[in-house]
Amino acid sequence: MSKLAREEHTIDGVKTVVYTAGKGDPLVFFHGAGTVDGFDFAEAWTDKFRVIAAYHPGWGESGDDTNFTEIHDYVMHYLELFDALELETFNLVGLSLGGYLAAKFASEHGHRVKKLALIAPFGIHDPEHPTLDIISTPGEQVVPMLASNFEVLKNRLPANLDVEFMAARYRESTTVARLFWEHPIDSRLPRYLHRLQMPTLILWGDEDKIIPVQQAQIWRKHIPNAEVMIVKGAGHLVHLEKPEVVASIGKFLRD
Amino acid sequence: MSGLRFNVMHFMPYAHLPENHKEFKSTWVSFPNKYYDPEKGYELYQRYFEQLVLADKLGFDAIVLNEHHNTVYSMMATPNVVAAALVPQVKRAKICVWGVPPNFMLPNRLAEEYAILDVLSKGRLEIAFPLGTGMEYWSNPVNPATSRERFRESLKIMLQAWTEDGPTTHYGKFYTYRFLNPWPRPYQKPHPPCYIVGTGSPETIELAAELGFGYSSVFVPRQKALELNEKLRERSAHYGHTLRPEQLPLLNFVYVAETQEAAEKEYPEHLQRFFEDYARSTPQWLAPPGYISVEQLKIRSAGSDKMHGGFDFKAISGAFFISVGTAEKVANEMGEWAEKMKTNHLNSVMHVADMPHWKTVKNLTLFAEEVMPRLRKGENR
Repeated sequence: MSKLAREEHTIDGVKTVVYTAGKGDPLVFFHGAGTVDGFDFAEAWTDKFRVIAAYHPGWGESGDDTNFTEIHDYVMHYLELFDALELETFNLVGLSLGGYLAAKFASEHGHRVKKLALIAPFGIHDPEHPTLDIISTPGEQVVPMLASNFEVLKNRLPANLDVEFMAARYRESTTVARLFWEHPIDSRLPRYLHRLQMPTLILWGDEDKIIPVQQAQIWRKHIPNAEVMIVKGAGHLVHLEKPEVVASIGKFLRD
Repeated sequence: MSGLRFNVMHFMPYAHLPENHKEFKSTWVSFPNKYYDPEKGYELYQRYFEQLVLADKLGFDAIVLNEHHNTVYSMMATPNVVAAALVPQVKRAKICVWGVPPNFMLPNRLAEEYAILDVLSKGRLEIAFPLGTGMEYWSNPVNPATSRERFRESLKIMLQAWTEDGPTTHYGKFYTYRFLNPWPRPYQKPHPPCYIVGTGSPETIELAAELGFGYSSVFVPRQKALELNEKLRERSAHYGHTLRPEQLPLLNFVYVAETQEAAEKEYPEHLQRFFEDYARSTPQWLAPPGYISVEQLKIRSAGSDKMHGGFDFKAISGAFFISVGTAEKVANEMGEWAEKMKTNHLNSVMHVADMPHWKTVKNLTLFAEEVMPRLRKGENR
């Protein structure tokens, strides 16, 4: 297991920070709407894969581009980044908002995605099991809802929610608002999911308080070659709460 | 300071908070509208209109209205409607809509509404362009993260509509106009006097300076307001505009009574309720994502926002433009502020929260009859 190394790229003028390590088949990870969970969990994949985890523009250590106002801008950004990294085909793993981005990417550029893993992906409108509106829910309420066992997240948060930490969250919320304030629901997503022809794993914690686990079945219904793995006793950040699922994803991508 | 001008600004609050209102962290955005009783609303409009008509008769130079949504703080969600109702009743004073966030409406419609008001009032309209408080973004389907861009574009369209003969075209990021050609056009040429109001974001100051508009900071402490005026003068000069004193309205809270004791007895409870109850909001409502820059967020969370919740009459009176007392004291204080801020334009809030009608009427009357003459006399010193 190798430690991820930091690389800095400039993609269309935007500072793009990539964490990468390992050899083998490439594995690209798309993070979610917040970056407090970090990338270190992905080191478990480095034994078998060349792991590439980048901060999207507007998040974490990457720069901002205020012209990014729709998810498709991020698809284009990653096409450019993959060119820079000389990545042709790869496995793709997306968490939450990153799951939505991964699904969008794969529906447009499916020939480049060997296998796809979506962890509690965002983007499906299910009136019966609605996604929590993280924009209007106060941050202090959202944070404890991220995991069933909050302890796994606690050591990643500063002891006091200081100004710098809150400002970093505000910046990431601003990026989210730019994308989703007017249109938090992508009603056209399901109609293109049939284009995800690659083997796809849908993984969900059964105690997810952000995006209800019931939505997994909607994804499965629309994706032709999908299997669903429900993880008992885990919340939204299932990869932190149950590290064994990281290995399960690795196994799915490898086999 | 010559050419003194006196405005009365009214928020038209819904002054009947339910008994359990303290259970709510905010009286904005999500405060349940079942607590609004239209019969009480009717009575309040009658009363507030009477106060503004009285202000006109007493010699105030202008009536100032503004826009807020989902709140007891204001019953003027659409201030142009209120302005239209006031036009035939307020015979002489200017009517200032300060104002509608231009990014909340189709720009041609706002240009049209303002033009209608200006023509109806025979050129008595003045306009301010606010970005809108953070709270308004939770209540309107407008993205706070792109609000400043949309604000700029809306303003450009409105000014184009007023200053260029139509039809013209506009192809922008947010709006496309194939025939920008609004009827009617404003009575005043090229358009009614324009201001920008804000709480001092550097971006907003820069925009006012660039356009040569007036600027009024609202709800910022005196020292900061002074710095903002200086900054604005400097930036306006940079764009080749010389600010006139009347372009810097000074927002203040005033209560005048026969004696100092009476004023201090009659007023503070209402001011307290204004800050603690009517302006009560949450940090989240105040700063939706993208509404301010990350740098501004850091600055603002370092200093506490005293205007929304929390009340210490002495501290607040010392820090903000709040004058309470006899006509003489109020005249002296306002005179000093005007000198310091290099303005001749005093914009006074004279009714706050649940102040009873008699207090507001007394306040308006004593101000007009005893404060204004004192200040006007001082003009020729």
